[in-house]
Amino acid sequence: MTQTLKVVGFICDWSVDLAPLSDGGRLREVPGVRVIRVPCSGFVRPNWLEDALNRGADGVFVTGCPYGDCLNREGNFLMRDRIDQLRRRLQRRKVDPARIGMLAFGLHDGASFLAEVKAFVDRIAALPPAPPARAAGRAAVTQPAQASEGERP
Amino acid sequence: MSTVATGQASGRYARLMTSLLRGTLRLDVLVNKLYPTDFNPLYYTGGLSNLFLFTLVLSGIFLFFYYDASLGESFASVQYLTDRVPYGGIVRGVHRYAADGFIVGILLHLLRNWFTDRHLFARDNPWISGMFLLLFAGFIGFTGYQLVWDERAQLLTSMFVAMLRSIPAAGAALTRLFIGGVGISDGTLVRILFLHIGPATALYVFLWWHYVRQRHPKIWPPGVWVLFCVGLVFLLAGAVPVTRETIPAATPAASPTRFPMDVFFLIPFWLLNFLPAGVVVLLLVALFVGGLAIPYASRRETPVEMGVRHSGVAQVIDGNCTGCELCYYDCPYNAIVMVPSPGPGLSKAAANRSLLAVVIESRCVECGICIGACPFEALELPKFLERDVLRQVGEAVQA
Repeated sequence: MTQTLKVVGFICDWSVDLAPLSDGGRLREVPGVRVIRVPCSGFVRPNWLEDALNRGADGVFVTGCPYGDCLNREGNFLMRDRIDQLRRRLQRRKVDPARIGMLAFGLHDGASFLAEVKAFVDRIAALPPAPPARAAGRAAVTQPAQASEGERP
Repeated sequence: MSTVATGQASGRYARLMTSLLRGTLRLDVLVNKLYPTDFNPLYYTGGLSNLFLFTLVLSGIFLFFYYDASLGESFASVQYLTDRVPYGGIVRGVHRYAADGFIVGILLHLLRNWFTDRHLFARDNPWISGMFLLLFAGFIGFTGYQLVWDERAQLLTSMFVAMLRSIPAAGAALTRLFIGGVGISDGTLVRILFLHIGPATALYVFLWWHYVRQRHPKIWPPGVWVLFCVGLVFLLAGAVPVTRETIPAATPAASPTRFPMDVFFLIPFWLLNFLPAGVVVLLLVALFVGGLAIPYASRRETPVEMGVRHSGVAQVIDGNCTGCELCYYDCPYNAIVMVPSPGPGLSKAAANRSLLAVVIESRCVECGICIGACPFEALELPKFLERDVLRQVGEAVQA
């Protein structure tokens, strides 16, 4: 079951040490999970998470350093807040907010990171299947639907 | 994948720093088992130092009311404060132990931020001001030991004068400046009192410099740690009174040769046991200058090894910026300022903007937090574009 899931993880380069856990951007123990390294968890734009879901990912998560230990002091707190916002936005679109996760693990927390990712994937596996991928492109709800000023050209 | 600690470190220094980084974070794992990560005291070494400094200022004001800066009276006034003034001995103990906590906090803060590369890029302002804070804190601690004017203070003064004299050319003038004349007099203690309180005031100037480039500096530790540390200092002051080391008052006739050691402030003076004064001065200067050079000379990784963490200074895409200020509020380094927009943007949302975000390149540390903050695609890291991220996402969902 979990084999067929497609999960995208954005992982801060300062947090979990991925060298022993992954090869080719894929977690060895949870093959459905693709990881993308970012300079800080705060770098991740919530649109990208939404975009990944729209393009057919079953779940997305962001991993930052333990709260309080962000190299830039605020990155993981900001990301946690942005993900909370995104969850509320997705709920209005009837997307289950459980498909988005925010994790926080340090360099040496590889084992607990893996356990948490597995739990995350299992939670998604238990959900009803996601709607099929929309046409690739920009997320549909960057702005509230009725807002007149969308910046899409 | 993660290159923070596994990148091909080149050279012995780089490997040493990498193992120190791993060790520091390993220690965090242990402490995080005891406390929730928000309460890990190692994440708040700076805030704890500031808390101890605040304690020092408050207790110092109390002590100042009773202190009499003259050769004949200073020791007696400290005795009076300790024995006769209600809780005077406790406050004196608080001042002493908070000073120890202060210096320990500063050193932990320095080592932690050094080992975890928190001095790189535009973070040199906090680093340089931090070195000055350390220097001044050490000097203030030393003058604090002199103020009591017991035999230890007397010996410390002569040792310090020896160190000053060993400085070529300026030595004699510095000595005269420090003791206020040719010999030790009442004026000396007035000077020392000023050298205790003046630099302490300067600490707050350096703290301003320390904080000025940070948006939300963690100035205070969590409340429970405030209570714990203040409580600990008070308990220590009560349980281990500072008067347990009975040092007689300084007299011109006394020529002490030894004193109870304090590991937090008096290590340079302990070194005088083995090294000539000139060498100790040279060592201290070298340590300080070397410390100042760390953010510029200490490279654990080459730019290539830093990979995604060295993606270039964030760039504003003029046409898309709507002047919404979100990046300005989120940037942890105050590197983004909003300026009046010279003209409308290109996108629809940016057509009516009145402000434009501008990245001050010398303050940017390439963390990318502004990219996450911007919902209008108006910011990019030059070497890690949104296009690259979305391509990786595409590969992930298609595979």
